[in-house]
Amino acid sequence: MNDFLQYVELDSFLHRLDPRTKFFFFIVISVLTSFVMSGVSLLFLFLVFLVIWVSSHIGKYIAVLAAKVKVLLLFIFLLWLVLGAFTRNDGPVIFRSTFPLFGGTYLFSLEWFDLYKGAVFDMRVFLMISVFYTVILSTNFSQIISGLRSWKVPYSVAFGVGLVFQIIPMIIKEFSTIMEAQSSRGLEVEKCGAFAKMKNYVIVSLPLLFRVLGKGHSISLAMHYYKLNFKVKRSSYKVIRPTWRDLAFTAVTVFSTVVAIVLQMMFYIKLS
Amino acid sequence: MSFSIKNISYQYSKNAKAVLKDVSFEIQPAQVTAIVGPSGCGKTTLINILSGVIPDLMPMGVYKGSIDVGTDVNVSVVSQSPENQLFGYGVEDAISFGIENMGMDSGKIAERVEYVLDLLNIQHLRRRSVATLSGGQRQAVCIASVLAMHPDILIMDEPVSSLDPEGKRMVQSILDQLRETGQTTVIVDNNLDWFSGIVDHVVGLADGRVVFNGTKEEFFKNFEIQKTLGVTIPQEVEIYRRLAENIEDLPLFDTVEGAKRVLGRFLPAATRSPVPETPRDDSGDVLEAKGICKTFQDGFHALMDVSAGFEPGKVISIIGQNGSGKTTFVKHLNGLYRPTEGTVRYKGIETAGKSVAQISRDIILVFQNPEHMLFEESVYKELTFCARAQGVKFSEEKALDVLKRYGLLEEKEELPLNLSMGRKHLLTILSVLFSSAEVVILDEPTLGMDLNIKSQLEQIIRYLAKKGKTVILISHEIPLVFGVSDRILVLNNGVKLAYSSTKSMAERDDLFKKINISLPPVVLLSKYFGFPEICCDVDSFVQEAAGRISRTLS
Repeated sequence: MNDFLQYVELDSFLHRLDPRTKFFFFIVISVLTSFVMSGVSLLFLFLVFLVIWVSSHIGKYIAVLAAKVKVLLLFIFLLWLVLGAFTRNDGPVIFRSTFPLFGGTYLFSLEWFDLYKGAVFDMRVFLMISVFYTVILSTNFSQIISGLRSWKVPYSVAFGVGLVFQIIPMIIKEFSTIMEAQSSRGLEVEKCGAFAKMKNYVIVSLPLLFRVLGKGHSISLAMHYYKLNFKVKRSSYKVIRPTWRDLAFTAVTVFSTVVAIVLQMMFYIKLS
Repeated sequence: MSFSIKNISYQYSKNAKAVLKDVSFEIQPAQVTAIVGPSGCGKTTLINILSGVIPDLMPMGVYKGSIDVGTDVNVSVVSQSPENQLFGYGVEDAISFGIENMGMDSGKIAERVEYVLDLLNIQHLRRRSVATLSGGQRQAVCIASVLAMHPDILIMDEPVSSLDPEGKRMVQSILDQLRETGQTTVIVDNNLDWFSGIVDHVVGLADGRVVFNGTKEEFFKNFEIQKTLGVTIPQEVEIYRRLAENIEDLPLFDTVEGAKRVLGRFLPAATRSPVPETPRDDSGDVLEAKGICKTFQDGFHALMDVSAGFEPGKVISIIGQNGSGKTTFVKHLNGLYRPTEGTVRYKGIETAGKSVAQISRDIILVFQNPEHMLFEESVYKELTFCARAQGVKFSEEKALDVLKRYGLLEEKEELPLNLSMGRKHLLTILSVLFSSAEVVILDEPTLGMDLNIKSQLEQIIRYLAKKGKTVILISHEIPLVFGVSDRILVLNNGVKLAYSSTKSMAERDDLFKKINISLPPVVLLSKYFGFPEICCDVDSFVQEAAGRISRTLS
């Protein structure tokens, strides 16, 4: 799918929201997932997300995201599993044994709790990434700029943030075109060893660098043609106004936050 | 009041070579001025000076002279890549960006947005996102965004270089509209063929100096200067130029209608019977695509049951509007795309299962933007890249000879990215000469090329075909297509509409009307004057016409 990491034009509840409502959702959920460590609470948040994704028809894009980050999630899960396997925890045991190494005796103790811990950290990371991605999928860069400006963020910063989201798809497209162009003239990137593949990817990075620099130059020229001057007060053609949808979504965000906190207090199991 | 450019000279640094040398000319209000000249003649630097980029953004150079355009004159630029110029997700966001920067109140902004949408006839695009627009529509939005700022001078830098015939036509009609409204416009483009109808004044630059400053008619009559500047002129003017060498006081014509009128005095219009297509023997095809269907992940059907065979030693062109599936089709031929259905066979063996690099030893694809391909540190290394990547032996002597023949020997140690766009493109095409591939695919090879480099390209295409290689060409330059091709494949919305010899394709007015592409002037005129055989290039047309005219005159 070529539309990874960019806005997807759809006519959904989420898409029609005021960008500020989505920023609020992003901030609240980001803070929440950084301290919630209860599996039940995270599962609840995941269900809330699921409803949002399905109702706004972006489920398939989230599935693509999940596929892209699966290696990262697997790494996190295995990391916590390995760390946990050398610690004795309470609860049901899957496998426990001691083994001698370098003159000492070590414990290997794999419990269900280790799996739980890995799953909790995976869930937190995935929710953190997906809340960001949910906002990106449903908010175009013009809306991002308008939203940030209405929060009194300086225009230079708001424009910079918007520009990043405008440029990311361009760079992704450039990279894939360069890869295609180089392989078309004989650079092997499919049937070769890992080292050769890595070397060839480095080769490709040079034209990409020049293309990105070229694009940067063109964009700065265009800013000049349009007389963009961050010191001069700018006006705005479109004005963003919240509607009942924003009120409803904010209520859902607040309600979910409260429930997640309550569940965290009720079902928290100390992880370390 | 006219805008005067007086004695401008410019060097990018104190010790660098002067890019502009004592440049003086006037831009007349409400007129269209064309600035033409070969790659590297200083056109871009001149745009940067006129738009204030020099010295505002680039203050380091040495700048002499003055631009007398009055106070508070607003100069705006439309660049050749609208995707790098448009700020805003939606069309309305992009159009209002410049006027928002001017601090105008929202009511006034709305008025101006409405005005340009009406002026350019693009109201239907207002709710669209910029990313979903076609090339021509995107350029139209770019022009609208600049016009909304009410520029005193509108500069357009090669505005149609990446557009298909439909996009070109859209920009042409916008320019016609602007001319009616009295907009002062400067078009910087070495391809004068697409906008010759609206130009009033031509300024020719060569090696940083003004070598021509006059009307369009004066320019078209000055054959020497056209050659020096390497300007692509309309095919009608080329016919005029060639016939005027033999016919005294031949009145100038630069349109098909004009040619019919002028040449009609010597050549009576006649009807001719179309030549029937002779069936093709496909037993010797080196490459064959059979029943290619491609459906992308998002469900878009890019190709539907496209089949075609390609003979050795032939040039086959693929034409169609953007989005017709041309590039998608050739990417199946070299393995970049795998078909949803259908097969590609090279010398009878399916290419499925081979990597793109492996296929490139037999079928090589040169992309339309050379900057996606160049990465070596010298021109020489870039030239021999394909040979080294494919393990093909080559001699240094031959490589140097090729560089010499195509005027690149002096730059052999130069970083390829420092060459002009046309020469970069030429270099990527030349590197194919050192590849083992029997099938060479060129995707829009004329991008950024001036007339001299284009004629070198034609030589390369003919040389490859003569060596027995199959050349597959994708191009929006229809005169070039008819001039070099043996066969033409027409695609429209992913469907093959026709695939036959160039001569028989020239008979298909209905087909070209359907795909909204004009046949070349030589084809239209040879049909109009009832030539027994349709002419596909200027040489054959002039030969036939000159013979007939001399018979009439005697």
